[in-house]
Amino acid sequence: MADLTADLGFIKLKNPVIPASGTFGYGEEFSHFYDLDDLGAFVMKGVYMEPRAGNPPPRLLETPSGLLNSIGLAGPGAKGLKKIVKRVAESTDTPIIINVCGGSDEEYLQVAEIFDEMEEVALLELNISCPNVREGGSCPAQNDKHTYRVVKLIKDNVRKPLIVKLSPNVSNIASIAISAEEAGADAISVVNTFLGLALDIEKKKPVFKNFFAGLSGPAIKPLALKIVWEVASAVNIPVIGMGGISSGRDVLEFILAGAFAVQTGTINMVEPSASVRIIREVAELMDGLKINKLEDIRGRLE
Amino acid sequence: MKNRNFIFDCFFLQILSGVYFGVCLWDNSFMREELCRIVKNRNLGGKYFLMEIESAYISRNSKPGNFVMLEVSGSNDPLLKRPFGIFNADSDNFAVYYEVVGKGSELLSKKRSGDSLMVVGPLGNFFPETEGKNLLLIAGGRGIVPLNYVLNFFPEKKNISLLYGARSSNDLNFDEDLKKIGIKDIYFYTDDGSKYKKGFVTEDVKNIILNDNIDLTFSCGPDVMLEALAKKINDLKTENYVSLEAYMGCGFGICHSCVVEDNIGGYKKVCTDGPVFKMEDIGWQT
Repeated sequence: MADLTADLGFIKLKNPVIPASGTFGYGEEFSHFYDLDDLGAFVMKGVYMEPRAGNPPPRLLETPSGLLNSIGLAGPGAKGLKKIVKRVAESTDTPIIINVCGGSDEEYLQVAEIFDEMEEVALLELNISCPNVREGGSCPAQNDKHTYRVVKLIKDNVRKPLIVKLSPNVSNIASIAISAEEAGADAISVVNTFLGLALDIEKKKPVFKNFFAGLSGPAIKPLALKIVWEVASAVNIPVIGMGGISSGRDVLEFILAGAFAVQTGTINMVEPSASVRIIREVAELMDGLKINKLEDIRGRLE
Repeated sequence: MKNRNFIFDCFFLQILSGVYFGVCLWDNSFMREELCRIVKNRNLGGKYFLMEIESAYISRNSKPGNFVMLEVSGSNDPLLKRPFGIFNADSDNFAVYYEVVGKGSELLSKKRSGDSLMVVGPLGNFFPETEGKNLLLIAGGRGIVPLNYVLNFFPEKKNISLLYGARSSNDLNFDEDLKKIGIKDIYFYTDDGSKYKKGFVTEDVKNIILNDNIDLTFSCGPDVMLEALAKKINDLKTENYVSLEAYMGCGFGICHSCVVEDNIGGYKKVCTDGPVFKMEDIGWQT
């Protein structure tokens, strides 16, 4: 049987499938559907220092093969999440990744330091995209210098490996990825949701109070795959690909485009046991295609 | 695997506690994802359907107020499962009563007996213990769903009364069946007067509560009806519970989409904090 190990250098995952932040709650909700030990790793819902109520409804709209969301990173804050992490870590050995958010460089650092100290946490993922949150003006992901500054600040102060999650809503994502790499990022994850707009012609108003909302789901897969290929071609650190993945075949496409591992997103909400189905499909496909290990096809586009 | 023990503990606790303690106790402890067979998908006239689905597990572990997420397309479009309240359940099958209102319910209405669909459930919390209390059920349109399950779930029916209204006679299903159940009083309404009394369920509710010494009310219906109802009965001495409907992404607390405003300026998730809420805990607009 094929070896599914995803070796990112700083960590070895038993398989390349990682449920993404915001689509997997705190993991424990999914333990009703399968054993969390079956996953490569999982990312907890993004966290700021303080608890957040989130955006006013409506927060979600289904679109063709996808959905727009404007949740507003609702959550219990760093203190609340710490307790949850302790509880969840008791039930699984699968690496836990914390998605670190912040309204300022200082807040990013504060949150990162709190979870850097927790032995239950394997990795940090810096959410410099935050496409739904207006406070603090534009997000760091939209600017090379701001990306470099905040990644450097975190890397200078924390010990755990740092994944930097980029936004696709920029003109040149490869250059942002290079800035993150130069600032010391250990890996890049791409991509966060694509900004979209939904309008109500009866009310002549946008559907969402924040105007734009983030598009995810199978609808964005080709867009995400293109970005993964661009970023993987531009940097020398591992890339974790995501965007609309819903099958084992999708996973292997992302690996072929250069990803070391992948994150599953919206599909986890639609089909709770999707991530373990996808892992099974990856193994079957690799056996069928006589691929022994992921490195054999990673970035090997002919 | 620790979760399995947790489920067992909850189950055991529920038996020990005489099944019920109140709302919000063991939400979603029983949820599962299952491929289920459709037993029947019967058109009740117009856009209304009653679908019976085979699942001993969901049927036996569900309670009045619980809901399920049903796959409608079998493809990526439409992508999301749709939430449906449980209308009734026996030891093998459960039923959902739905109206075709959009693409998802339209696709569901085309399914036939023998077809299969993925189901996640049972989900959400449930209505509290009613024993020994004078209970009034207040249903508007499809809001009969969880209240019908209440009527079928509790063996003691002589202390239960029902107010049930709909837009017109075409929208008022199950009236003949409900008359036979043997509850205390039933009052039917249609907005247009095409059958039974013309008017809204909210018209006589206050008098009925006061005259019949009602202790407890369960209501479900369109937001506008619940708003009007809250205005009339929220300050009475009755204990009032409402079951809410919402646009949902996942149904089990992950996406944080289905929120309603609570009475302290925050949000509650209809899927896991509800769908059953104390009426006083909701931030009604009026």
